[in-house]
Amino acid sequence: MNAIKVILRSRTPCAVGNRLYATTKKKISDPDEEESLPIFQYPVSKSSDRRMYVWGLAETGALGLHMPRGKKSRKQYRNNFSMCWHPMRSSFAERFDVTHVAAGYGFTVTSIKTSEQQKVFGTGINTDSQIGYHAPRIGHPLELLLSPSPIFLPYKSLETRIIGLSAGRAHTAVLTDNEGVFTLGNNAYGQCGRKIHNNEEYRGSMATHNIKKLGVEKIVNVCCGQDHTLFVTEGGKVYACGWGADGQTGLGTYENQAIPAMVKGDITSEKIVKVASTGDCVLALNEHGELFGWGNSEYGQVPMATTQQQVNMSYALVSFTKGLGKIIDVAAGGSFCLIVNEAGDAFVWGYGLLGLGPNVQHSRTPKQIPAPLFGRNEFNPTSMVQKVACGIGHLAAITNSGDLYMWGRNRQGCLGLGHTKDQYFPLKVSIGAHVLDVACSVDHSVATCKPFI
Amino acid sequence: MVKFRSAALAFKSLNGVICVYKPSCVSVKQVQHTIRTNLCRDLNALPDRPIEQRVEIIGPTNAPMEVKLVPNYADNPLVCGPRYIKDDFRCRVASHLGLFSSGVLLLGLNEGTTLTYQIHAGRPTRAYKVHGQLGKATNTYFWNGKTVERTTYNHVTREKIDGVVAHIQAAHQRTMFELSGLHMESQTTYELASKGLIRPAESKLPVVYGIKCVSFEPPNFTLEIQSVNEYDKYLWTLVHDLGIQLKSSAHCTGVQCIRQGKFELELALLRKHWTLEHLTNNMKICHKLLEDNLQLLKPESAVMMQ
Repeated sequence: MNAIKVILRSRTPCAVGNRLYATTKKKISDPDEEESLPIFQYPVSKSSDRRMYVWGLAETGALGLHMPRGKKSRKQYRNNFSMCWHPMRSSFAERFDVTHVAAGYGFTVTSIKTSEQQKVFGTGINTDSQIGYHAPRIGHPLELLLSPSPIFLPYKSLETRIIGLSAGRAHTAVLTDNEGVFTLGNNAYGQCGRKIHNNEEYRGSMATHNIKKLGVEKIVNVCCGQDHTLFVTEGGKVYACGWGADGQTGLGTYENQAIPAMVKGDITSEKIVKVASTGDCVLALNEHGELFGWGNSEYGQVPMATTQQQVNMSYALVSFTKGLGKIIDVAAGGSFCLIVNEAGDAFVWGYGLLGLGPNVQHSRTPKQIPAPLFGRNEFNPTSMVQKVACGIGHLAAITNSGDLYMWGRNRQGCLGLGHTKDQYFPLKVSIGAHVLDVACSVDHSVATCKPFI
Repeated sequence: MVKFRSAALAFKSLNGVICVYKPSCVSVKQVQHTIRTNLCRDLNALPDRPIEQRVEIIGPTNAPMEVKLVPNYADNPLVCGPRYIKDDFRCRVASHLGLFSSGVLLLGLNEGTTLTYQIHAGRPTRAYKVHGQLGKATNTYFWNGKTVERTTYNHVTREKIDGVVAHIQAAHQRTMFELSGLHMESQTTYELASKGLIRPAESKLPVVYGIKCVSFEPPNFTLEIQSVNEYDKYLWTLVHDLGIQLKSSAHCTGVQCIRQGKFELELALLRKHWTLEHLTNNMKICHKLLEDNLQLLKPESAVMMQ
């Protein structure tokens, strides 16, 4: 029957008796035709493959997306590529095996898995040499990098691995497995952990500082606040250096600290596993899932008995977070704090767009963000928040199914929702991969993801 | 099971919603036709009212006339046709099922058509079992199409399907907010969103609320999808997209509606039971269900209630 149809079709339209029928009847396909089709095999990713998605302000070069200018007719949008509205896949992660990402104020630092000299790459604002010395000509250092360039760090052995990265307003800390921490960038307040020179020129500076050990212990975690740096050692001790006017160094003073010193107060007897700080407030988490805090408390981020706005020593917030269960992750933003407990519920307090709707601007006690906003409903009752992150004005949470939710102040489209309107409750960001980690800063965000297949 | 004494009584009781099982490859129109003709057949078999008598006055007009009753042939079913015909029944579906889909179908009979309209306007979620096969993509996204691509599928595992499917579900939650017609910056939106799922404001664009893989025997897999405003072709495209996401290709091999609002598969009448007794019995159960769940007819808020 099909053969007849084919013959009929092949006749010229002017032939007598040949009419074109408009029929909706589907022709049954020939099974032999199917057999002749080739069998494709699409490439499948390795389990170690990582993807990087970036969004937010692109003008600073912090996204590492360098769009060559378009010609007059085609791709003219590239001429004013200043903002990335939606998460965009960065080609950097396709070329290198990205391990860690840190987002500073207008710059991004990325580490890759390699046994060569170029282990850390930086892109974005470089006014204080926070992403190293890059000069096309001697004496003309670049103050802005549009695409990732390797940062030179004096490693003793090329086998050294990068195990942590953190970036502040204008400084970067690189944590290695055997050689301690390398710091570079602005040291006006001692945030690089070295002596402060009053007239030091940071633009075009080649200085890097290596902190091998603190006390006798190795450093296992590093965190940069706005202008201070925090180090966590193997024994769970916390060291701090840098700007201390709000007490964010936790050393009992409001002075700047050049050489890292141990944070005083309640945490001296605890084993700290994680510290979090983006602005001037610091949260720390011990191995039992208990919370500690110090630094700026203008909006009650670190609630004290008196109306103290600068807390210069660490305080246990155990009674404050009573009834929330074991805390698994913490994040401190500019004027708010975000924590997540074992049950996967996120709690927020402080001031700003907290994610509790437009009516709630300020909360003195930890308030739960309703779990249905993170996708927990009758069709998906096991959805849990696992990781949280904070920028200065925006917040992010990652669930166990690898979905990223963001909310808060949408400066320069840093929420990646396709517009620059503020978001008052968590909304899923469209990323076509399993999100593992997210780094937020002032006006851009970077997510490290794993492909689905 | 009710035994009807007369056809008129039986016809009067046939006002309401029934829940039937639509077989695949039988169109909804065909189902409506079969049910209506079956009902007519059963009603006509029931004891009918007596044939009307005709008054006949005969005899010469100038003498006393004789009045007598004679059988009225105009009322005889042999002359005027059967008492009940197909056009006596109005019949309307609550939501359409495509030709190749099978499963729960809600039909309103006579006065029940208003009920089906209200059920439709209330936008209840529908649950589907969607069967798919990996390794082959067709131009219609369904098994009856022409094969356009063949791929390998050895790398696909249950975990990978679960991961992709969970991501699709989360992505649809965002479209849920966009289609709810709510202002994203208002307190009302926040309050609704924190309660759970929101119903879409319009009836055009499909929203998937839940999607999960319930069985995987390579190359066949089955998805369970809960959604609003969907149609059979949309479900086929979901399977096709899943195939692409899995770095393979897939086509749909069958769609079965297993739940419509509160109407479960157990309630649905099979084709062999599409008779007067079973249908009236089914109508009673359906009405009981509707009375217990009035939110199906008149939802008070945009929050999804199940």
